[in-house]
Amino acid sequence: MPPRYCQDSPDAIAACVLEDMALLYHRPSGQTHMVISPVPEILAALDNGAALTAGEVHAELARLYDLGAAEEAVPLVEAHLAELAALGLVRLA
Amino acid sequence: MKHALSLKIGPATFRIGSAWRQPVEALAALYADYPAPSVEVADFTVRLEPAGPLRRWLRPSIFITGDHGLADAAPMSLSHGLLAAEMGMNLQMALGWRRHLLLHASSVEKDGRALVMTGESGSGKSTLAAQLGERGWRLMGDEFALLDLATGMVFPFPRLVSLKNRAIDVLAAEVREDRMGPLLAGTAKGDIRHLVPNGDAIRRMDKGAMPALLLFPRFGHQTDVRAVGQGEVFMRLTQASTNYVALGEPGFDALTHFVRNVPARAIDFSSGEEAIALVERLWEEPA
Amino acid sequence: MSAPLLVRSLRDPGSVATLDAQGWNALIAAARAERLIGTLAFRIGKRTVPGAVRPILDDARLDADREARQALWEADRAAEALAGLDMPVVLLKGTAYAAAGLRAGQGRFIGDLDILVPREAMDPVEQALLHAGWEWVKDDPYDDAYYRQWMHELPPMIHAGRDRMIDVHHTVLPLTARQTPDAAAMIADAVPITNELCMLSPEDRICHAAAHLLADGDLAGGLRNLWDIYCLLDGVDAAALDERAARHGLRPHVRQAKRLAAALYGKGARLTAWDRIVAARLLARDGWGRERRKLLRFAFYLRSHWLRMPPAMLARHLFTKWRKGHRPV
Repeated sequence: MPPRYCQDSPDAIAACVLEDMALLYHRPSGQTHMVISPVPEILAALDNGAALTAGEVHAELARLYDLGAAEEAVPLVEAHLAELAALGLVRLA
Repeated sequence: MKHALSLKIGPATFRIGSAWRQPVEALAALYADYPAPSVEVADFTVRLEPAGPLRRWLRPSIFITGDHGLADAAPMSLSHGLLAAEMGMNLQMALGWRRHLLLHASSVEKDGRALVMTGESGSGKSTLAAQLGERGWRLMGDEFALLDLATGMVFPFPRLVSLKNRAIDVLAAEVREDRMGPLLAGTAKGDIRHLVPNGDAIRRMDKGAMPALLLFPRFGHQTDVRAVGQGEVFMRLTQASTNYVALGEPGFDALTHFVRNVPARAIDFSSGEEAIALVERLWEEPA
Repeated sequence: MSAPLLVRSLRDPGSVATLDAQGWNALIAAARAERLIGTLAFRIGKRTVPGAVRPILDDARLDADREARQALWEADRAAEALAGLDMPVVLLKGTAYAAAGLRAGQGRFIGDLDILVPREAMDPVEQALLHAGWEWVKDDPYDDAYYRQWMHELPPMIHAGRDRMIDVHHTVLPLTARQTPDAAAMIADAVPITNELCMLSPEDRICHAAAHLLADGDLAGGLRNLWDIYCLLDGVDAAALDERAARHGLRPHVRQAKRLAAALYGKGARLTAWDRIVAARLLARDGWGRERRKLLRFAFYLRSHWLRMPPAMLARHLFTKWRKGHRPV
């Protein structure tokens, strides 16, 4: 079974968009993260509270953005999700 | 402690205790024109203590501490007692102040708007602010700019300006001798002399101003002006703040508001005159 | 002396109404030095205080709130890192009090994350933490060997990304100490806080705090530890506590801690001569926040090492430290 990821809690993150990146203030840890696309988009895909696999996140994003071939894009999404989980920004469901 | 003094600088009050008379006397002389604290409860206690049991008399050396201190701070010679007291107050602010976002930056004000300058030690931000303070700007501070968490205004912290090495002669040529402190030769940062901010800076030390321009000055390079992206500005300002993390989300909100609303430029210059002309030109340019 | 003033203000926060400016300066300096300013602010609450004092107390409350939040996050991260090991993660001290919402946690300064794990799990715990981003703080082989051989914990580790320390204990006193608390029983009787985290039972919390205060340290920062004990004693059955303390070989320490807590923070107690010396050490701080009674402090420093180590080891340890410029005072 591929791992599923979900948001920690709906109000865990305060976001601020700058010209060239986005800032995420993570309330439980007090840490500020500087991120660029597609990280804000991946987090947005988890906004409805569901626990999704990387493939499902990719499918969600593909409806809105052109991500190229799925076989290349899904592992990238998976890597981002694993990194976000290590930071505590998303959780393994 | 044996010798003590209370000072108010901008919004902060300090109670400074010393094992020796000299540092307190030097402070009292240079801060003579500052208003006395209206209440005697101090925000911070600073202590200048002997670095060891015998070090009050024998090759006196000062250990700087107080409410907040660094265990491994190197002791200083008593002849640099004035500098030790200033460092003691800076240390309390850097580690303990929570009522503003503290930026390691100099700031000056004109027409009700503030110019904030930040950079490494030696970038020239302190000298530049001191010079502007003698040329029609109001000096708000050479070390810390205090960013208000609710309004986004910058508030002054106009302690004595710490002039180093070549900057000493530059400012000594511009101000009355009685505004200059004693020469402290051979400190860890070289020669240091303190400059008392002018009467305007002291009288209006409770008056904030909305920030209108952020500069990253760099002394010793050919003249240049570059735009700086918001992401880089944010990163450099978090590195220049000693209490960004401690303030939590209000600090995040205040800093992102600042970054999104205040235009930023990096400026290089090779002389003070050049820098002043550059600042005046950028100040007049529409953002 | 300002430490007695601090103790009085914690015991009876209404008494601050009589303080003048010098009194407030002394109280604030002592409270900061003893890392009890957040606790003091919490105790004073909304009582009327001079205008210049209010923001100082408010700042202290905000700092304490943030520390509690960060401490809970560190505990969450440690629990996640150790989730695969199928063993209880027992929180100790400040983090446990904050996580469980105990009175001892209100406004409390919280430094490192302290956890207790079974001794046989030390190796996998070390590996799991290294894997999750923690690193060794010191690379001094002498210190490392000292910790591993003689102390009750792994050498301290720090998380590279979050800059926070974790202390992993497998028992509550160094192996060289004369008392040998039963760590396995402490772990077996731990009580859950959340699904992933637990803490010591009410009696063991006091035994641990008393061991830490009276059998393990030079009493530096002891007023805070004693405040913890005073709060933790609330609602604990005296007979059950005495029995549990005896099991850990800590009965004299727990009894002394109870007397000192009652004498300083509670309704008073009859003190022995030795209690009075310990109390004098705990209260050795002046109106500028300085520690007084240097000889007494040094005596306790030597004593604290003597408690933990055989004398020849002590000499070797001090010599190695002093050569590197470390001074006890």
